[in-house]
Amino acid sequence: MSQHPAQDPTDGVEITVGYRALPGLQDRLEQRTVEPKTGDPLPWDANTKFQVVGTDVARVDGLAKASGRAKYAYDITFPGMLHGALLRAPIAKGKLKALSLDEASAMPGIAAVVALKEVGNKVRFVGDAIAAIAGVSQHAVRDALEKVRAEYEAEEHNVDYNVAEGAPLLDANGQVEDAWPEAKEIEEALGKAAVTHTGTYRTEVQTHSSLETHGGVAKWNGQDLDFWMSTQATFGVRGELARALQGRGIKVGTVTIHAEFVGGGFGSKFGAGIEGLACALLAHAAQKPVKLMLDRFEEHTTTGNRPGALMQARAGVDKDGKLVAWDWRSFGHAGFSGQGGSVAVPNYYAIATKPRREHKDLAIDTDPPRPMRAPGHPQGWFGVELFLDELAAKAGIDPLAFRLQNDREQIRQDQWRFGAAEFGWEKARAHQNAADARWRRGVGLASARWGQLGNQGRPAHGATCRVHQDGSVEIRSGSQDIGVGLKTVMAVLTAEELGAPLAAVNAIAGHTSDPSGPAAGGSMVTPSLAPAIRQAAYRAKLQLREMVSKHLGVPVGDVECKNGKIGTGTAQLPWAEACKLIGPNPIDVRGERLANFEKPFHATQCGAQFAEVEVDTWTGIVHVTRMFGIQDCGLVIAKKQAESQVLGAMIQGVSYALHEQRIMDKRSGRMLNGDFLRYKITGPKDLPELRCHMHSIANGHDSVGAAGLGEPPSVASAAAIANAVFHALGAPVRHLPITPDKVLAALASKKA
Amino acid sequence: MTVPPDRGVSRRSFLKGSAVVGIATTGLDAAAGAVRPTRPASFGPGEHEIALLVNGSEQKVKVETRTTLLDALRDGLDLTGAKKICDRGSCGGCTVLMDGQAVNACLTLAMDAVGSKLTTVESLTDKDTVHPLVQNFVQCDAMQCGFCTPGMVMSSLACLQKRGKPTVEQMKHDLSGNLCRCGTYGRVMEAIERTAQAGGK
Repeated sequence: MSQHPAQDPTDGVEITVGYRALPGLQDRLEQRTVEPKTGDPLPWDANTKFQVVGTDVARVDGLAKASGRAKYAYDITFPGMLHGALLRAPIAKGKLKALSLDEASAMPGIAAVVALKEVGNKVRFVGDAIAAIAGVSQHAVRDALEKVRAEYEAEEHNVDYNVAEGAPLLDANGQVEDAWPEAKEIEEALGKAAVTHTGTYRTEVQTHSSLETHGGVAKWNGQDLDFWMSTQATFGVRGELARALQGRGIKVGTVTIHAEFVGGGFGSKFGAGIEGLACALLAHAAQKPVKLMLDRFEEHTTTGNRPGALMQARAGVDKDGKLVAWDWRSFGHAGFSGQGGSVAVPNYYAIATKPRREHKDLAIDTDPPRPMRAPGHPQGWFGVELFLDELAAKAGIDPLAFRLQNDREQIRQDQWRFGAAEFGWEKARAHQNAADARWRRGVGLASARWGQLGNQGRPAHGATCRVHQDGSVEIRSGSQDIGVGLKTVMAVLTAEELGAPLAAVNAIAGHTSDPSGPAAGGSMVTPSLAPAIRQAAYRAKLQLREMVSKHLGVPVGDVECKNGKIGTGTAQLPWAEACKLIGPNPIDVRGERLANFEKPFHATQCGAQFAEVEVDTWTGIVHVTRMFGIQDCGLVIAKKQAESQVLGAMIQGVSYALHEQRIMDKRSGRMLNGDFLRYKITGPKDLPELRCHMHSIANGHDSVGAAGLGEPPSVASAAAIANAVFHALGAPVRHLPITPDKVLAALASKKA
Repeated sequence: MTVPPDRGVSRRSFLKGSAVVGIATTGLDAAAGAVRPTRPASFGPGEHEIALLVNGSEQKVKVETRTTLLDALRDGLDLTGAKKICDRGSCGGCTVLMDGQAVNACLTLAMDAVGSKLTTVESLTDKDTVHPLVQNFVQCDAMQCGFCTPGMVMSSLACLQKRGKPTVEQMKHDLSGNLCRCGTYGRVMEAIERTAQAGGK
């Protein structure tokens, strides 16, 4: 539907939304009438025949990355550039009593020293920033840091959630002991239920562990600041930095952020942080460029985390296995600020009575949480989905049948059926482990949900498209590609709309001198930018069609741009020839993100995952042997990169389920495993056999119909693995990560 | 307390003040049996100019005794393909080949690399040619953020050079020192497999 007359459509157009049948199931297609906005192309729909969209293409910056030539913030250098580092507090709570930087600033090679706290300021956690130093080499700075005289007045601290203010009482088995607050309706429904169940579930604090640490390179030119930063929010940090610098009395002209390549973020890199401010202050004081990158311990302990959670559920089903009552309370593991520990739970399981969901955050003296891939979801889904499997087992119902019985969403109903067939659920679930078998096998499944159809608010995000007479095309956004494949998505959409060869398109992202785009959060970037990118390319196409129409003497309405050719069936020009008509001034247009249409096919993205584990009952070690995931992300634009993101989320899920936990030393308040030796993340040897199916859905919410993939595939994995472990052992491990000690304890409890 | 918690006395700050004597007579040299360029009998404290044999050419760089090979490559020679990620030999992001062996450049002192043949990821791509392994990383989409990718490429290269056609278990073993947070391991192994099948090393 992408070809149509140049004038804007005024009346509604009919489109087909939904999806073609998953193998063995039926089509889910519907007709919709939508009204495209002025200046927007006709929307793509389920009947659109694409040339590039949805095909396997190489990541457009893949060669830059694999060749080592991509310059991340960490890799930027300038002649005369200084190195910076931070002095961190060694106490978890108290006050800065004395600070002298004189000796440090007199050390050889030191160019600038900045105090970040004043005497009397509070110290809130181990690693709170005290001062910053810049010098000619990393060694010079390290030596000078040892000469800072800082004294602290320590107060009693707490880094243990079990004794945090407001924490519930736990019994010897780790179950919440406090009585449920009164809830008459729920009690009544539970009283009438055929089967009831209750359980307490726990997850630990996980660190983002981006491989590129936080930080960057700051370079002043008079009052203007250029900052090459490892960030996932170019526009957000620009404003934050300008305000923070002005707050310190520094006159700021323009601030330009550069983040062309970013070594991961996962939710931890929305702010410039104290490291960003310190770097800019040092560069300002020294009047030289400064690079300040955190080290791995700082990354683990001062740049946020996924909060742990303590969750308790009770629920009941009727004799048919339908949920009739639901009660839930959770406690989030926040840091010193006492905020950000929230837990999300599924909302698509039908419950006959009004469910209760209560939550409270617990504060301890550590670095506060930050959003991390699907904030609140992996922890809540682990608690709910394992609880549901336990409840189903009590009621004698297969977990899949239980989901089909209670899941209200049609898309996931299809995904459950298709996924179960692909994974071989029935056969794998029927596997019986011999009573004395050392290795026990099990399978589990879990659902996923996310809801994001793009930021349509203010500021209106945009993109720039330029077509040059040499046939090259620029598509530009100031938003950042932190590894999700945004640049590839930009290039694919542009090539599709223009009918240009993909190789002719250069996608440039990450500079705030280009049109604004959202932060890489909430799976927001692709659905927010895709329509703006398409509109920019469309508007460039309209100009090119005019030129070709005049040149060939054919009506403009007949001119098509397709497969690298522009013209009609009888008269056409190859892409490169057509572009020669442009002349020395390129076609240079902006596309804008307009508001969504009123009624999308479905407002949320659905997914389901299946996992198989083998448990060594002698050692308690769990191996995830294979996983299958099916994921809806609206229109699949760059298939290979979309798959990479889903498979990667599943690996992160293995890591979360089996390995990751921050371990705090109660006495010092310091993280004991703040490195990659003792903070284990999944490595190559833990890799299961992974497969995924991208479930492309024509959602009809805007001219493209895209959704993002940061969050959706991150929700289900750990829950599916925990359910597989429950199946293998016959006893649940209700506390992530599922480490050998907990597996052996679960086995022992079963025997007892 | 004046010493920050993560900057106590480390191996490197210990090395900074001490003269390192006689490193030219290590077992490695004897095993290699090669005649090494002569070096002074003792170094430090302070900076010295050394010559490193990187990607086929000799390059001069100023280092202290405590300077790692990684810092010498990145800060001294602007070869930033090798990444500093954990700086403690537990992630493989800084992998380079030293006399054909994959090593963690963050755990190797620059001075210990004098006389060795160093190969960094940059050598696999130039204007006209791209190493088949690098091409296959791109074709298989064996990356997301890409920060671990150069290290993965170098460990994969060492794996291919050692084994020719590695099995899945051998690939997992040879890559086991490399961490990826985005979760690209499966596609990295696809890239190795494809390269092996085409006979590229």
